[in-house]
Amino acid sequence: MKKLQGALVEPAFPKSWRKQSKPHKFCPGCGQALALKILGFAIDELGIQDKMVYGCDIGCSLLTWEMFDLDTVQAHHGRVLPTMVGFKLAKPESIVIAFMGDGGGYAIGAQHLVNSAMRNDKVTVILINNANYAMTGGQMAPTTLISEKTTTTPEGRQENQFGNPLHGPEMLSKIIDDKAYIARTISTNFGDCKEKIKKAIQNQIDGRGFSFVEILSMCPVNWHTNTQASLDFCEKDLTKIYPLGEFK
Amino acid sequence: MNILLAGEGGQGVQSIAKIIARAAQKAGKHETYLPGFGVEQRGGVSLAFLKINNENIFYPRFAKADIIISLCNRSMATIKEYLKDSSIFIYDNSAINDEHLDEIRALVKKFLKIPAQQMAIEKFTIKSANMILLGAVLPSLGIDQSAIEDQIREEFKDKMAKNPQITDQNLSAFRQGLELVKAPMEDFSGKAEVEIKSQFSDDKKIWKCFPEYCKGCGLCVARCPVHAIHFTKNQGFLGTPLPEVDINKCEACDTCEKICPDGAIKVEKYSSQQVE
Repeated sequence: MKKLQGALVEPAFPKSWRKQSKPHKFCPGCGQALALKILGFAIDELGIQDKMVYGCDIGCSLLTWEMFDLDTVQAHHGRVLPTMVGFKLAKPESIVIAFMGDGGGYAIGAQHLVNSAMRNDKVTVILINNANYAMTGGQMAPTTLISEKTTTTPEGRQENQFGNPLHGPEMLSKIIDDKAYIARTISTNFGDCKEKIKKAIQNQIDGRGFSFVEILSMCPVNWHTNTQASLDFCEKDLTKIYPLGEFK
Repeated sequence: MNILLAGEGGQGVQSIAKIIARAAQKAGKHETYLPGFGVEQRGGVSLAFLKINNENIFYPRFAKADIIISLCNRSMATIKEYLKDSSIFIYDNSAINDEHLDEIRALVKKFLKIPAQQMAIEKFTIKSANMILLGAVLPSLGIDQSAIEDQIREEFKDKMAKNPQITDQNLSAFRQGLELVKAPMEDFSGKAEVEIKSQFSDDKKIWKCFPEYCKGCGLCVARCPVHAIHFTKNQGFLGTPLPEVDINKCEACDTCEKICPDGAIKVEKYSSQQVE
């Protein structure tokens, strides 16, 4: 009979995570860490750890530079995407992931995202949308919702002053080739998130074209919310403005 | 006088450093205050470098400190470099484990041990632990008690609207710390390692939480479909509460394992054939 009482149990880490760097540096309850755990499991299931190169952007995403047991590079403000495109051109058999936040991808480095999508580069982009600039202390991002309060919009985001929230996947799906994969998912839904990440990586492995996944995420520290309120804001308010689904 | 304060981010190291610096300034002394922390918003080691002098200060950093205040285990490697023979080491013996003190045991000549966290949980809230340590450091500072108390009142003026008791609570925590210094200090020791029960099992399943990875975010508690998980008084590595499961209610559905951003929960389920 198997004895369960003193059985040795290992933490639920993906194999591709670097164990020595854990506990990682994200805040308690961070949705980005959750997305990275799901990305780790997706890499495990596809069995591509040896061929994979990982690039992270600046912002909270730079905290992932020792997250994975993968070759990693870190670049500035959306420039991780052209860096990874360059790597892919030099070594086409590798599988590259550019990991960025909404500040890097939609604001400061938006040119790179748009042009890379236009060229249909065979890379995978994973973008975290938490509706603010989290690392610098919660300033307004292009994805901040109307009337959401941030440190730079203390009265709430005004439509006539700052425009409407940016819908990245919808925007890219208008300019992109049919072979591309564009989707939006949410970090709190393990199954859906993993499936879409896997599809996006598979699209690159098959050599079809650009693949892009936007992941809605929580930021309890800068939203100033408790656990339940963070979950509610992410799953109800954010998904109302940013509908989940596959766009291409 | 060089003072180094070290603690986990969120324990209030920077707030007491600010209070000391401003009180010293009002007492007519020269002072500099230099915060030092990593890129994390939460959870890194947070340092504060304070210099208080009767003459001009030309550089805010220093190589050795006269007073070192430590609130957490992880700061030992950092403060080791700043210890000298005449340093006074003030530490929280209800938060720092005995084994972590081994690293600096040979270097510490003078110390004050203050069970700040324990006292704060018993009498106030856990957030007042820093004020107790502020009270403990006061006799070594050479600043009047009334000057610090005035500064505490000013510092919490804005927060009074939300919580009217906050100033009184912090003042009494501060005075409590002042009382604690008068007690004789015996052996240089910390908190004994307590075994935390984190693995729960019955004949079909194992549920385990890893205190060395758990950050106490509460997502598992919020998401459990059968409300089997609840917080306990045990603490994880950040000083946050640890979750515990009622194994009889648990259905081993894996929801908590999937939602944990830190990979700190593992659920294993066995079919009856596997067990037999």
